[in-house]
Amino acid sequence: MFRASARGAGVARHLLLIVAVVLMLLPLAYALGTSFKPVSTLYDLNPVPLPGTLENYDLALTRFEIGRLLLNTLLMAAGVTVTTMLVALPAAYALVLFERARGRSLMVVVVGAALLIPPGALIIPQFLMTSWLGWQGNPVGLIIPQLGTSALAVLLLRDHIRSVPPSLIGAAVLEGATPWDILRQVVLGLLRPALGAVAILLFINTWNEYLWPLLVMPSVEDTTIQPGLALFAAPENPQYGPLLAAAMLASLPVLVMYVLASRRIADAFIHSGLR
Amino acid sequence: MTLSVLSRPERPARPGAPARSARPRRTGLAWLYFGPVLISLLVWVYGPLLFTGVLSFLDWNLVAPDVAWNGLKNYETLATEPEFGNAAWNTLLYALCTLPFATVVPCALAIAMWKRPGRASEVYRVLLFLPVVLAPVANALAWQFMLDPLHGTVNVVLEAVGLSPVNWLGDPHTALLTVVLVTMPKVIALNTLLFGAALANVDRRTVEAARLDDATEGEITRRVVVPQLRKTLLLLGLLSMVVVWPWLFTNIGVLTRGGPSGATDNVYYRLYTYGFTFFDAGTASAAAVVIAIVFGALLVGYSLLSRRLRVSR
Repeated sequence: MFRASARGAGVARHLLLIVAVVLMLLPLAYALGTSFKPVSTLYDLNPVPLPGTLENYDLALTRFEIGRLLLNTLLMAAGVTVTTMLVALPAAYALVLFERARGRSLMVVVVGAALLIPPGALIIPQFLMTSWLGWQGNPVGLIIPQLGTSALAVLLLRDHIRSVPPSLIGAAVLEGATPWDILRQVVLGLLRPALGAVAILLFINTWNEYLWPLLVMPSVEDTTIQPGLALFAAPENPQYGPLLAAAMLASLPVLVMYVLASRRIADAFIHSGLR
Repeated sequence: MTLSVLSRPERPARPGAPARSARPRRTGLAWLYFGPVLISLLVWVYGPLLFTGVLSFLDWNLVAPDVAWNGLKNYETLATEPEFGNAAWNTLLYALCTLPFATVVPCALAIAMWKRPGRASEVYRVLLFLPVVLAPVANALAWQFMLDPLHGTVNVVLEAVGLSPVNWLGDPHTALLTVVLVTMPKVIALNTLLFGAALANVDRRTVEAARLDDATEGEITRRVVVPQLRKTLLLLGLLSMVVVWPWLFTNIGVLTRGGPSGATDNVYYRLYTYGFTFFDAGTASAAAVVIAIVFGALLVGYSLLSRRLRVSR
């Protein structure tokens, strides 16, 4: 009796998890299968594309010029990640190392309060400012305004830098190391994996950004992959074959990163959510 | 995204610790290191925030040189226009529909994985997290394909079992719920991960003790595990009310553009429509101010709650 009910609970548990996985990932898995189907069988219920074709991918790359959009997206995501890290790392380091500096609590408030403002509420002035700077349709306008999200990176990096044993930093100070030496040799040396995790989080979030490139890069050739996909989908009769092929290509880079470092990426998202 | 700054007080200084006191004061250097972030946030966050406040009292089309003082007229427009009322009502509906997917569903999934750790749970964990990172527009298009009113898989299956097809995104009665369902994988995936992190603090011995007392698995979940997660449930419910809007925005933008006849509109999409379809900077900014105030109230509520509950992961 006991054993039967325990087994029943085990089955129910797997059932719950499998149903969740299927509901959450089925459309994407189905789209993956469909992206390899020729037009004639596109709407078949059978999700397995046999015989398969690369025709949709060919069309996505030639007609939609997906390659160009992916390159734009890579440039944006890399640009935002690098500039954000460059700006946020010294700030996070200052918050930890110069604990006794005057106005340190003001720094914490400046960073913390920036996270409390809903980003959607700022798009009108941010859009106007990029126009006035002549950055509309310019990659600089795509990247620099996204420094507004650097507050999150500061707090994540601060938490990591705090984990450096104070005695190590103290010893370096006694040996006459300058703050800059300590940042380069002690902090960067010890925290490379943790900083990598923050960088990956920034990269993925920027890769998936939809609204800002839609506003700054409205033209089909210069935009990034998220609004680009939406532009291709807009006509009344979307060509689902090439469209889904393009959608799969849009997910591929992030998927590869996830396969290579799933645990680390999950940890980075836990840190950015709650503690 | 992170709200830890609200929930966690600064570490108290430890004046006696030798390593700390070895650290120099160096105020100038500290601000030099902090300078780049300070400038970035002043230019791209605090400046725009003030600017939005000013714009909300103006009448301006974003381009022309003629700008007029509009007093509180923009706010009056929001208060009287049925479109904004509809958007506000829909925002409430979106919030209510999102809540169970941010709390009950991921909580159940996280507990199911936590109860029997092992290879299978690890596979579920990896798969269930995927929607957090996958391209949002790709997800939207995959659903759009499956929900196509004529040839879409969902309707073909419905007809095959004798049910009538549904125009999921085209019918005002179903469109909002459909947009919610398309968005939920991401909410469920993120919160399952965060519930999993919270479960790391739950003492497994309480579960083993209950098993020895012949409690069923269902009873253990309800009476032993969930009570220990009550605070996390509250906080993740509130957190989802903060993070879900950009994700909904993408799906609304790709799938419905607020239609049919305003059925999927919400205040965020309304702001975008005022600003970039009607080029009405004043009304859009007034909407932004209203959103920021409501959002701020939510966050204050969150910080009060989390301070009272002292939840840690």
